[in-house]
Amino acid sequence: MNVREFAAKAGYTVFAEGEERQIESGYCGDFLSNIISRAPDSCAWLTVMNNVNVAAVATLIDCACIILCEGVSPDEALLARAKSLPVWLLGAQGNVFEEAKKVSALCGV
Amino acid sequence: MGECIRLEYDVDGTNFSSAGNASESVKRTLKQMGVDAASVRRVAIAMYEGEINMVIHAHGGKAVAEIYPDRIEICLQDSGPGIADIDLAMKAGYSTATENIRSLGFGAGMGLPNMKKYSDEMRIESTVGVGTTVFLRINF
Repeated sequence: MNVREFAAKAGYTVFAEGEERQIESGYCGDFLSNIISRAPDSCAWLTVMNNVNVAAVATLIDCACIILCEGVSPDEALLARAKSLPVWLLGAQGNVFEEAKKVSALCGV
Repeated sequence: MGECIRLEYDVDGTNFSSAGNASESVKRTLKQMGVDAASVRRVAIAMYEGEINMVIHAHGGKAVAEIYPDRIEICLQDSGPGIADIDLAMKAGYSTATENIRSLGFGAGMGLPNMKKYSDEMRIESTVGVGTTVFLRINF
C-alpha cells in the first residue's frame, strides 16, 4: 500500500508529504544507530523520538515513512527538515505496539 | 589509483540541524553515478555515523570523500578531544555521550562498530588533546 493511502485509512495526521512510496515492511525504534543499521528499506518507521535527526536518518535508511506515535508532534526543526526532504512524516495517537499492529494489518507486512 | 571525484565538506559542530548533510550529499552523488543501492547504503551509514561523532564529540571537523570507479575512500578529521582507548571505543554499547546527546537518539555506543561493520577498511588515528582522523574504504 502506498503511504498516502495508508495514512488516510489509518487516520493519521500528515505533517509532511514525501515522494510516492510503498510500505513494504516496518521497524520500531528510537536509538538512531540501531535504526540506521537495522531498519529495512521502504519500511514504516515507528518511533517516539522527536528531533531534527529523525528526518536525516529517515532519508539515510530510505524508509517509506516516519510514524511519530503516542501523539508526538514534530518540533519546528524536525518539521522544517522533513518538509525539505522527500520523506513522509505522519502522526499517530496510539503507542508503538498498537500502531505497528495497524501497519501490519493494513499493509500486510 | 585512477581518476576520482573528490568531495569536501565542513562538518558544522555547533548544531544538529545540518548533521547528515555531508553523507546525504555523498549518497546522492553515488546514486546519480549508478552505484548499486546496497553499496550506497553502506557508505551512507558509515559516513553518517562518522559525521555525527564529529558533531557530538569534536565540535565538527572536515570530511573528504574520494570516489573511484570501484570504491570510495572517506577521511574524517577533527580537532576534538581525541580517543584515549580506541579498543574500548570500538566495543558495541560503549559510549561517552552525555544524557543530553542520548535524549537526541544517539549515544547507543554503536557509531564506531557500525562504521566498521559497513566498511571494508577502517583506520583510526587519534591523539588525546589533538584530534582524531578516521579513514574508511568501502568497495562497490
